[in-house]
Amino acid sequence: MKILIADDDRMSRRLLQKTLEREGYKVIAADNGQLALQQLSLSDGPRLALLDWMMPELDGPGVCLEVRKQHDRPYVHIVLLTSRGSKQDVVAGLEAGADDYLTKPWDPAELVARLRVGQRILQLEDRLVEARETMRFKATHDPLTSLFNRGVIVDLLDRELTRTRREDGCTVVMLGDLDHFKSVNDTYGHIVGDEVLREVARRLLASVRSYDFVGRYGGEEFLIVLNNCDSTQAIARAEQVRSGIANHPVRTTRGPLPITMSLGLFATRDWDLHIVEEVLREVDLALYQAKGDGRNCVRLATPNTPCNAPQRLVK
Amino acid sequence: MTQKGDRSSQGVVNLDELLTRVENDYDLLVELIGIFKQDFPRLLQSLQRGDMKNVQATSHALKGMLSGLSVTQAAASASRLEQMGREGRTSGLTDALVILESEVAKLWQELDAYVEEAKP
Repeated sequence: MKILIADDDRMSRRLLQKTLEREGYKVIAADNGQLALQQLSLSDGPRLALLDWMMPELDGPGVCLEVRKQHDRPYVHIVLLTSRGSKQDVVAGLEAGADDYLTKPWDPAELVARLRVGQRILQLEDRLVEARETMRFKATHDPLTSLFNRGVIVDLLDRELTRTRREDGCTVVMLGDLDHFKSVNDTYGHIVGDEVLREVARRLLASVRSYDFVGRYGGEEFLIVLNNCDSTQAIARAEQVRSGIANHPVRTTRGPLPITMSLGLFATRDWDLHIVEEVLREVDLALYQAKGDGRNCVRLATPNTPCNAPQRLVK
Repeated sequence: MTQKGDRSSQGVVNLDELLTRVENDYDLLVELIGIFKQDFPRLLQSLQRGDMKNVQATSHALKGMLSGLSVTQAAASASRLEQMGREGRTSGLTDALVILESEVAKLWQELDAYVEEAKP
């Protein structure tokens, strides 16, 4: 594990370095507070720090205060080294954000034991962060496909529509629905149905750019939001999505299954609609039309609002 | 490197404490003494200039080095100088410096002798 030692006294630094290297730490040494802060501000900087109280440029408590302002970095466990043993000094150091303190000259066994305490606290913090991230993922993603869930994809669409209106850009929205999916479930069972949904999700993600959004809108419905997408490219992009599903059978435990998707398509540039509910209604109507026109095809939305783009039917 | 009985009361250095601190590492001990010998004259010169702004910081640094080497008495002298620096007291500064120098001179001899004696 990496550890930062910051002390302007060469002797003290060398002694600390040797003691800590014997314990298997990878030691990074700094001889003033500013250099210490630089190291602790790096994205992969050390998470354990031993800081001398008095240092040039920035003292130990000053480094603590700055480090504690960095809320986007993982927690750093800081031990202050001080020859100032008064209660007021200890309180001031801890109030500045230090987690612990050691009085100089330190005993090596005590130093190592206190750092182990620090490591235990960091491990606990890591487990809490991991648990929080897992909960966050579960709250925002569909458990079967790992795509965004309905609530999140609709929120993302809302945000994109707002941004599009502000920047006079264009957002393309696709609503895709697997054709005859019920018969897959009825014929092969829900486990195979789930396999199909997972593979479709994978293909959808593969057919869009890394900064586009794909979510599971309903059972076999998927909502795709293409940011900053030129409306003239919308049909071609939707065709890519459609053919990405239709061109290759989905491999399942019951053998390869031909799967197709119908898509409704909406490009904000062509219509004066920026309210999420309206957009979803229009793209749903377009999807309904695609179903009526024989499925496995893309249909453009044609809202009843002033239109400057012709309706086009495409395969 | 073996410890050679309780020598804490025999000289200015508490050798047992020092050996514990360096975890009986002879090379490290020699290295630390070398650093002290290099840095001490510079710090002493700074103190002798009598710039009260520097007295506190310099004697604090000295106190840290001396206590790191388990030289309790000299560390206490440095601590007194630090206090004088903090309070901006110039009276007695020269006397306090002389005391510190004489203690460090004894330390020097003792460390040299010990390094020779403890050579593996």
